[in-house]
Amino acid sequence: MKNVPDKDILLFRSCLVSVEYPGVEASTKFVFDKLGIDYAISDKQTCCTGLGHYSDVFDQIDTSAIGARNFKIAREMGRPNLVMMCATCYAINKKSVKLLNKKDDLREHINKLFDENGLSHLKYEKDDLKPTENIFHVVDILYGKKDEIKYHIKYDLSDYTIATHHGCHYCKVHYEDTIGGVRDPNIMDEIIEECGCKTIGFYDHKRATCGTGFRQRYSNPDLSFTATADKMNAIADEDVDILVHLCPNCHIQFDRYQHLIGEREGRKFKAIHLNITQFIALAMGGDLDKVIGQKAHTVPINSIIKELKEVEK
Amino acid sequence: MSSHQKITDSPIDFAVEIINDVKNSKEEGVLKCVQCGMCTSTCPAARHSDYNPREIIERVLDGDETILKDDNIWNCFYCYTCHSVCPVGNSVCEVNQILKQIAIENGIGYEKLYEYMGFADSYFTAAIGAIPEIFFTDIDRDVPGWWDFRQHLDEIRQELELDPPLMPSEEVIDEVSKILTITGFKAKIEKIRASQEAENEERS
Repeated sequence: MKNVPDKDILLFRSCLVSVEYPGVEASTKFVFDKLGIDYAISDKQTCCTGLGHYSDVFDQIDTSAIGARNFKIAREMGRPNLVMMCATCYAINKKSVKLLNKKDDLREHINKLFDENGLSHLKYEKDDLKPTENIFHVVDILYGKKDEIKYHIKYDLSDYTIATHHGCHYCKVHYEDTIGGVRDPNIMDEIIEECGCKTIGFYDHKRATCGTGFRQRYSNPDLSFTATADKMNAIADEDVDILVHLCPNCHIQFDRYQHLIGEREGRKFKAIHLNITQFIALAMGGDLDKVIGQKAHTVPINSIIKELKEVEK
Repeated sequence: MSSHQKITDSPIDFAVEIINDVKNSKEEGVLKCVQCGMCTSTCPAARHSDYNPREIIERVLDGDETILKDDNIWNCFYCYTCHSVCPVGNSVCEVNQILKQIAIENGIGYEKLYEYMGFADSYFTAAIGAIPEIFFTDIDRDVPGWWDFRQHLDEIRQELELDPPLMPSEEVIDEVSKILTITGFKAKIEKIRASQEAENEERS
């Protein structure tokens, strides 16, 4: 497995986490603190452009120029390890680092624009960051520390039926760096096992997209929701209580639209949707309001989790 | 006609344009396509619409530039499933994105981008990629309680003790706005908006 850092980390803020599921950020900090991971957040770092990029509004030069600015911020803080809460931020930033290192014309073009416009302090030099050594998703960091998770578990969630949804932009875009499998993704299943729980493992459509499809959800909702229904039906067939996510965009698609897709399918779907950090934070005793952020959820967490039983010591 | 095509024939120019695009990370992957159809068999858009990733590469290799105006290319989910299973290391998902950028450069597809101008606007006002307000009515209709939740977002964030606040400083917003001006992004957005608003006016 690739080397995963536990220090010098810039925890990269995500637009969707910030405004849709802020509990994912609080839970990430809660779990990172428990595991002794050295990280900081910056008020200077901005959005990766991902939503606009995959709606075809931002081109690669726009995205990579914004990326160069964020990479400089990370380096100046002495925190060259960017760790993303959102799968799309992960894919976007890793691609920008790859292209900026490899394509001299792109790097020189952006640096020239910076030079000519009083932004020389943002210039990116070849190999300032490395795609595999510096760009991570939160799940990578958790995986690197997974042996220590069990020492912090307070509640036993093993009675619930648990499945995982691995975001495409973590697994499939930079597949050479994906931990735990691409066609049969298991990184979250392995982490959940360290919380004393067993997931259902593989299920039909496990590796499929959430169906968001960026512009599809808004401009082409029938196409989007039909694709989501494939997976939602497969999950209901397995009687899943908790679907665990690693991407806020997938999280929105399942949690926000479960009711609507249930109406379209003529079926009542019951699963609650937790980010992997929310799941671990809950198992570690994080407060549902102050850490998990349950008020942001559309499918109420307490519709499934009615009481928490402590693990037997 | 395409059956007599040789690799030195001119239709390869279209594929070369894609290979040379800044976004391409697969080098000459597009030329390695063996038309096996693995992409189409795993594609969610192919499963539920007339989108066909295998055919996209076939048409690119045939030099068929009418694909830029084909509405079907806008059905890609950007899930990268095709990209992750391709046995020769090609990426239809990336080719699709490049085709759309070529289309936009040629003034095609502005109407597809118009609804998403909010993603550009939020960058200049707040340096974040917020869901465009134009979609709020739909979201409020489809998601019970979402609007009410959004009204209480600040309180929820406070309860979670999240810092720093959502809004970056003026200095940060200015710097990001400047970057997106010098890359040509701002001019492109203004052009798309002006063109669509002129068309809308003509229609009414």
